[in-house]
Parts: sequence; C-alpha cells; structure tokens
Amino acid sequence: MRLARTVSEAALATEGVYSLGTGRYVEAATYGAGEKVTGVVVGPDEVTVHIVVRYPLPEPIPALAERVRERAASRVGGRATTVVVEDLEVVPDENL
Amino acid sequence: MRIFNRIVMILLLAGLVYLGIATIVYIFELGPYQLEDLPNALGFGGLYEGLNGYLGNIESGNVGPLDVVVLSAIALLGLVLLILELKPPTPRRVRMQQGTYITRRAVERAVSPVIEQEPEVLQSNLKVKAQRRPGAKVEVRASIRPGEDARSVQSEVQSRVQQHMAETGIPVSDLRVRANESDPRQTKTRVK
Repeated sequence: MRLARTVSEAALATEGVYSLGTGRYVEAATYGAGEKVTGVVVGPDEVTVHIVVRYPLPEPIPALAERVRERAASRVGGRATTVVVEDLEVVPDENL
Repeated sequence: MRIFNRIVMILLLAGLVYLGIATIVYIFELGPYQLEDLPNALGFGGLYEGLNGYLGNIESGNVGPLDVVVLSAIALLGLVLLILELKPPTPRRVRMQQGTYITRRAVERAVSPVIEQEPEVLQSNLKVKAQRRPGAKVEVRASIRPGEDARSVQSEVQSRVQQHMAETGIPVSDLRVRANESDPRQTKTRVK
C-alpha cells in the first residue's frame, strides 16, 4: 500500500499528468485494509501506473510517459514498471 | 476466432457427455439395453457403413473431383483455423516505447478533433488498432458533402493527422484515410 501511494504521488507530481486513470474494463487500483490507491497496480514483480495526461501537452506523450516511468521505477525497488496513458483531459489554457 | 473455437468445444464436450452417459447406461444395464445396440441407438449404424464404403473408395483411388475439392477445402480450412488459433492475440494497448503504452481510446481522443477541424468533413469515424510492434493502426473514415473533391480532402486530412501525431508523439505505424460522400441530412454536422 505504501509503495502504491508513493508511486501515485510521484506520478501526480509529474508535470503534464492531470490525474491517475481508473482502468477501463477492470479497476486499476491497489487494495489495502479499508483503503485503495486508484491508478497504481502493484504486483509481485511489476507495477503499472495508469495516467490521464493534460492537454495541451507540455511535451510529446511518449516522453511524458517515459518520465513518469523513470520516476516510478526509482521508487519500486527493482520491479518492472509500466505506464499506461489512459486518456487525455483538455484543460483550458490559463494564459488565454 | 475464440468464440468460434468455444462453440466447437461446447458441441464436442456435449457430444462426449452424451456418449459417456449412454455408455454408463449400457455398462450397468440400466434398462432393457444391450451394449452391441449402442452404435445403432446413437444413430451411428448408417454412418459406420457409409464411412467404411467411403474410406474404401478413397483407398482404391475411386474418388470424384467434387470429393477432392471438398476434402482439400476442409484441409485448407483446418490449416487456416490452426494458424489463426496459434497467432498471438492483438494487444489491447498501443505500445509507444519499452514499458510505456497508450490506450486506443486516448489515441482516438487525440485524433478526432483534428479531423473535424477540416471544414469539408461533416463527420468522421475512427478506428484505432493496437499492433504487436510499436505504433497504432489508424483508419479514418471522413464523411463529406456530395460533389466535394474526395481525393484532396483525403490528403488534407492525412497530412493534418500526421502532423498532429508528430506533435503529440503518438506513434502511428499505419494511417489510412478514406473520404466518402454522405447525405448531410444524415451526418452529425450539416453545415460548417
């Protein structure tokens, strides 16, 4: 649970990430006693992070996903890390 | 393919269950049955004789051209089904790099607005497929008014989508655009 929370915080702190995804057919979450972390699935050998990216994009999507992956990978202690861009969220430009 | 195989398996297993129950009934003599009557009771009597005669004909090379065609077609169908079954399933998500994926829905949401920005396009239909190699296969069907130059709309949409994909960095391995004339009364947008 603590690992899922750490990864979730790291992903959300990345510029360009709007929120964490919830999964489409199956809920993407890690479940603990009485709580859950949505958007991060921690397995025995793998961690998957589901993200929703902010649009307009600060950088190309593969670069953004790679940055999230690197940030998450440094916190998961050797587990394979996968990042899934689940959706785009159009956010009005604040400068307009 | 999986559904087809499932149906075949269900039919096969149902047949096995029926055969098994019938055998038990005959073995334990649960009723006025004799084991030697089993093939006839299952309706296999005629089938056995027919099959025997047919195999005899095949062995002696006495087969008609229609039979050769049917047998070859069955063999070919079996080969195709086997290849389809052995083929690994298409992935659900589009692979970008090692360890990073994007869902088909996200690709659709990124591409749709770009197509509809084209003034001649009244409506668009988008199909995104993930592939085993990195990149998505994108099929765009754009509806245009009758009389419009379909070819120029097609190339315009294609270059717009390509440019947008390059900007967003979404890898596309195959992009196909088709412009079809449609009645504006039946499309989402009538006037632009």
